[in-house]
Amino acid sequence: MMTKQVRYEALVKALHGDLYRYAYWLCHEKQVAEDLVQETFLRAWRALDSLKDEKAAKSWLITILRRENARRFERKRFEMSEYEEANITDTQSVTTEQELENHWLREKIAQLPPEYSEPLVLQVLGGFSGADIATMLNLNKNTVMTRLFRARNKLKEVLAAQPVKRGMYNG
Amino acid sequence: MDDLQFRRAIYADPNNQDADTIAAQQQDPSKKQFAQEICQLDEKIMRALQVPVPEGLAEKLILRQTLASHQVQKRKTRVHLAIAASVAIVGGLMLNFMQFSSAYNNLGDYALAHVYHEQGSFANNATSQVTLASLNQKMATFDGNFSQSLGKLLFADYCRFDGMKSLHLVYQGKTSPVTVFIVPKNEQLSFSPHFNDKKLFGSSLEFTHSNIIVVADKNESLGQWQQKISETVSWLI
Repeated sequence: MMTKQVRYEALVKALHGDLYRYAYWLCHEKQVAEDLVQETFLRAWRALDSLKDEKAAKSWLITILRRENARRFERKRFEMSEYEEANITDTQSVTTEQELENHWLREKIAQLPPEYSEPLVLQVLGGFSGADIATMLNLNKNTVMTRLFRARNKLKEVLAAQPVKRGMYNG
Repeated sequence: MDDLQFRRAIYADPNNQDADTIAAQQQDPSKKQFAQEICQLDEKIMRALQVPVPEGLAEKLILRQTLASHQVQKRKTRVHLAIAASVAIVGGLMLNFMQFSSAYNNLGDYALAHVYHEQGSFANNATSQVTLASLNQKMATFDGNFSQSLGKLLFADYCRFDGMKSLHLVYQGKTSPVTVFIVPKNEQLSFSPHFNDKKLFGSSLEFTHSNIIVVADKNESLGQWQQKISETVSWLI
């Protein structure tokens, strides 16, 4: 039993950050993301014996999380487009140029259609290859590459159209 | 590799390590610059994607799992306890059944077995003798009374006759001791008026609340014993 506990704790410590961020970009809500991660790890604990290859742990957890997220929609149906700006992580209290740019870009990423943002998150955050992402999302590899291309292309466009003067205008 | 193809490849994966794209970058400085731009964009995206993880999330996850598995364990120990209890009960019942249920189904068989079991304990020429008074004292338990002695009583005491408290009397016989049992009536053992094996003969007398069984060897006249018993015994009820 002890070894299972140790394995579980190692898994949590190593991957909870990545998983939370992935969940966040999936649902755009902090609380929901946290719940999803909790549910995912609880399921992972129950099925931990079936995880033979520790290297596959990340994609395994992401698969569980995606399933959990889908289940959330089965339970409660609400419109995908109905997310509020306020839900996007608020970093405006930190006013360094870097943070401001991050915040601005976050909004833009959140506005991407989910079929574009999801592969992007998996590639950039998860470090998965196009083939890995294709398996995880049950898509053709070419489709994944096209979506990645479109996602970056859009972000590049909006960054180019970014107002020269950014920041808060008080008063 | 044409420009469009190159751009698509870089957009799809800025860290593309394909030989084609690397070669294209080396041949054309503008392509290299483009790749670097996209790499910078990717770094920005990476920074933006790294939303802060709630503090103590890992601890929360471990805590929740610990609590959940603790509950499972508690449920398991309860189940184990229940199984252990059931096994104990079944074991107890089996023991009970084996000890107190009769292996014999009639009086005669049991009486013979009982006599054989205690055969060594009694000698026909033993000097000890039990008085009629002390015999009747014991008979009081069965609400019975002997008006006179049936013979030389060597031994009289209570014993377990197939789990029932009964009186075990041993009289001096002609060649070997004669055993008399006073046994409360019991439905488990069927009444057998006459029984015998190669060595011993037995007969039973049925009274209202008790049976009296006489077991002796071939030299004894069981009829005579029975008659004597019938004449001398009297019951209170």
